Amino acid sequence: MRLRVDGDVCTGHGRCYTVAPDLLTYDDEGFVSIRDESIAVAADQIKAAEDAAASCPEEAITLIEEEE
Amino acid sequence: MSEMAQTADQRPEEGRRGGCPVVHLDFSTAKEAGCYWAQAEELREEAPAYYNDFGSGYWIFTRHDAVRDIYKTPELFSSESITPWEPEPAYRFIPTQVDPPDHVKYRKILNPWFSPKAVEEAEPRMRELCRGLVAEIAPRGECEFIGDLALLYPTAVFLSFVGVPVSEADRFVAFVDDFFAGFSGDPEKLPGMAAALQGIRDYWEVALAERREDPSPREGDLAGYLMQATFEDRPLTDTEILDMLQVLVLAGLDTTRGQLGYMFRHLADHPEHRQRLIAEPELIPNAVEEALRYYTIIFGDGRKVTRDTEFHGVPLKQGEMVYGLVAGANRDPRHYERAGEYLIDRERIHHMGFANGPHRCLGAHLARKEMQVVVSEWLAQIPDFEAAPSDPLVERGGGAMLSLAELPLRWEAGA
Repeated sequence: MRLRVDGDVCTGHGRCYTVAPDLLTYDDEGFVSIRDESIAVAADQIKAAEDAAASCPEEAITLIEEEE
Repeated sequence: MSEMAQTADQRPEEGRRGGCPVVHLDFSTAKEAGCYWAQAEELREEAPAYYNDFGSGYWIFTRHDAVRDIYKTPELFSSESITPWEPEPAYRFIPTQVDPPDHVKYRKILNPWFSPKAVEEAEPRMRELCRGLVAEIAPRGECEFIGDLALLYPTAVFLSFVGVPVSEADRFVAFVDDFFAGFSGDPEKLPGMAAALQGIRDYWEVALAERREDPSPREGDLAGYLMQATFEDRPLTDTEILDMLQVLVLAGLDTTRGQLGYMFRHLADHPEHRQRLIAEPELIPNAVEEALRYYTIIFGDGRKVTRDTEFHGVPLKQGEMVYGLVAGANRDPRHYERAGEYLIDRERIHHMGFANGPHRCLGAHLARKEMQVVVSEWLAQIPDFEAAPSDPLVERGGGAMLSLAELPLRWEAGA
């Protein structure tokens, strides 16, 4: 699985890095540090990634299932 | 005027505008605590949109998706006015009332000052300050929570966060009270509101002059930082700096007071939740986040329509005002499971208590931390408490922001 943040939609609520602190962190302005980027989600972080996506008030996070 | 509303209810065909029921509602009056949320729920369940012919008239959108879309569409809904009962406000707060594309340029200046990193750095002194205030209250066995802590603590934190001596707290508290008395739309309170705005501005004008006279850096000094900041490669003007500092004071002092009051009324009435948070302190941030959703102090938020359009089935005209009923949206069962319940361990909480879209609350990270600190420091010293007998609790008019007037609490001292 990969997690992607849409930088045009993210406004820095901070819910994602709060509920998934081992997966995501913030930048100096308080936005998630991977705006307009995607990262690989390790197997033990899948629940955290799903929580982050579902907690985003802007619906800025997309989860992409990868082909095996 | 209220007869008009009654007639409208009885004769729906005549009492409609743009397909919506016409109401006549004044959101500026004080009511018994909880009445405004009950009203928001009622409005939301009866119709998705209304025309309120109060004042110069405005549209109310009551449900989650419409409120979210108002927030997310600044090109259609301008922040030029955020109070629908006052489409031409006498003030211009920055960045609150600035639209894209300039809005984000101002936010870039302010965001780092209020970032999670800055808040984390301040947390030790925030805790120490709170622990001290609670230690003074604990032996008394009773307090009036709003005056004794909910107002005092965020004021002290905020002032130290922007570099103002905490000894100025009383002066700022008076400004904030006078401002919000008028902000919700009560015309009698407008002169006091104007005087408060001027008072805040005068304070900061003197502060800017002092810094020009003595430009040596001061620690944690937001005014000094703004004087060095640039907007598109030019320095900020004094007017811009004052428009920023003015709104920061107002937003930083009042909102946390309101939110803390409802949070502690909940904890006073729910011993099982107190016990849960004492046993599992890691749940405190979640409990605070759910309070922001369920006990939303932002009753609603206004915007001005930029062009003729149809929005969620309602025809809107350029220059008209809309009001997104945030308190209704945050408990909308169309969007949330068990929307009408406070669930301390609710997962995946999201809400619009800090707005949505580009104007997401600048102070959100600080406000959350303040609330988390107060809950944990209070429960550490006063684990068991209850609402003291009193007249029914009263909340300030909800038009702008809800707040309990008083919250008497009691506990067994020395327990």
